[in-house]
Formats: sequence, C-alpha cells, structure tokens
Amino acid sequence: MILMLRPDSWNLPVLLHVAGAMALVASITVVAVVFVQGWRTADTAAATALQRFGARTLLFATLPSYLLMRIAAEWALSRENLSNSNASWIGIGFAVADFGGLLLLIAIIIANIGARRSRDGGMSTLTKVATAISLLLIVGYIVAIWAMTTKPS
Amino acid sequence: MSYTALLFLHVLSAFVMVTAVGMFVAVALAVRGGRHTATALALVPLAGVLWAVGGLAVIVFGIWLALHVSRYSLTDGWIIAAIVLWVIGSGLGGRISAGYRRARSDAGLALDPATLTLTLLLVLTVVAILIDMIYKPGAA
Repeated sequence: MILMLRPDSWNLPVLLHVAGAMALVASITVVAVVFVQGWRTADTAAATALQRFGARTLLFATLPSYLLMRIAAEWALSRENLSNSNASWIGIGFAVADFGGLLLLIAIIIANIGARRSRDGGMSTLTKVATAISLLLIVGYIVAIWAMTTKPS
Repeated sequence: MSYTALLFLHVLSAFVMVTAVGMFVAVALAVRGGRHTATALALVPLAGVLWAVGGLAVIVFGIWLALHVSRYSLTDGWIIAAIVLWVIGSGLGGRISAGYRRARSDAGLALDPATLTLTLLLVLTVVAILIDMIYKPGAA
C-alpha cells in the first residue's frame, strides 16, 4: 500500500467527520450501557432515572454527533472528488450511516416516549427496543470503522 | 500484521479511548447538574476499564504502526507530540477515574471539584491528539 498525505484542504472535513464519529460512538455506547443497567436493575426508581438519562443523551449528544459526522462526510467526499465513487468502503459507510441514521431516529423517538410513559414504573418496553437498537448500532459502527480504515477494494 | 489491520486496531482503540472520555463527560455533566448523580456514577467502573484498555491499545498499535511504515519515524515531531499528549491524557484519565471512584464510594456526595476541571482538560487533550493525527504537522 502506498501511503499518501492528504492535501491540507481535506483535513478540516476529515477532522470534523472523525470527531463526529467518535462522539457518536461514545454517546451511543453511554446510552447502551445506561439502558442495559436500567434493564437489569430491580430498583424501579433507578431504572426510570437511567432511561431518562439515556433518552436525553440520545437527543442531546448522539443526534448532534450523528449530524456532524454525516454532514462532514459529505463535505470530505466533495473535497476528495469521491461523491460519485463506487468504492465499496464508501458504500459500506453510506449504508451504515443512512440505515443507522434511520434506526437512531427511531431509537430517539421511542426512548423519549418510553421515558415519559414510565413514571417510576421501571423500564418500559419501548426503551427495551431502543436498547436493542443502540447495541445494533454499535456493531454497525464497528463495521464502518473497519471499512473506513481498511478501505476494502 | 498488515498495515490495514494495524491501522484498524489503532483507530478502534482510539474510539474505545474516546468512548471512555465520553463516559467521564457524561458523569461530569450529571454530577454538575445534580439530577442524575447516582445514575451517572454507575458508568464509572466501565469507563475506567475502557480508558485503560483503549489507552494502552492505542499507544501499542500506534508505535507498532510508526515502526511498520517506512515513511514514519518515532522521532517525527507529530508522533512525539502525540506520545507526549498521550502521556498527559493518561495522567489526567487516571486521576479522573480515581476521583469518580471516590465519589461513587461516597454515593456521589463528595466529588472533588478538581475532577470536573480535569475532565475538561482531558477533552482538550484528546481533541489535540485528534488534530495532531489528522493534520500530521511536519510529516513528509
């Protein structure tokens, strides 16, 4: 493999894309851990607090991180003249980002509805679904990191 | 190990490290707000483990990469800067982790105010490492 340094004009969009991706993975992991702890605890008040904390994290940390990652990705692609590329690593990135974005949106909506409905009743079914989605997203993001770093084909 | 495998493991380790920082920040914000203190402090043990594992792996695979790639050298300015920042970050992360563990054993009643400041410094250090890794100042 021949190493190539990026032109300076590519660095800012790549920096914002990677920073957004890191904040996205960090925040979705916080959400998954908090929801799993809420699911496992027998203390209903603690479960309610945990799902509220997770739902707010999804809304105020994960969503902005996703938007930063996705918008900066488009900026980086246009700078690198790869907007119309058929490279499989870009395809994997788009698939994970866009399908993951849809799942993330669903998780945000149902987790926040679940947190409002629970009212000290413990972990709601909606939040359990959001937990499963957040764990699935973590797996998808690891695949995306693999594709972005190894750039298959 | 191939260049791409090393790069993947290095970047994945960096994501794990940043995830630990994200957990420290979540705890700091919750403790500062005072509403979800006990809830947030439950993240502390996992954050400590992720910080230790991610932090160690990122430096091991980073140095391995620098030795593996002929165009890089451990004496390159941007690599030395990254190692220095990593050492600073490790010190900060260790102190933050210990501060939150103390607060957790105290049921969140006595969080050292310095821990919040250290968390902010850790975020700035990690951002500096990321800028250094992307821009690679001085790389040929």
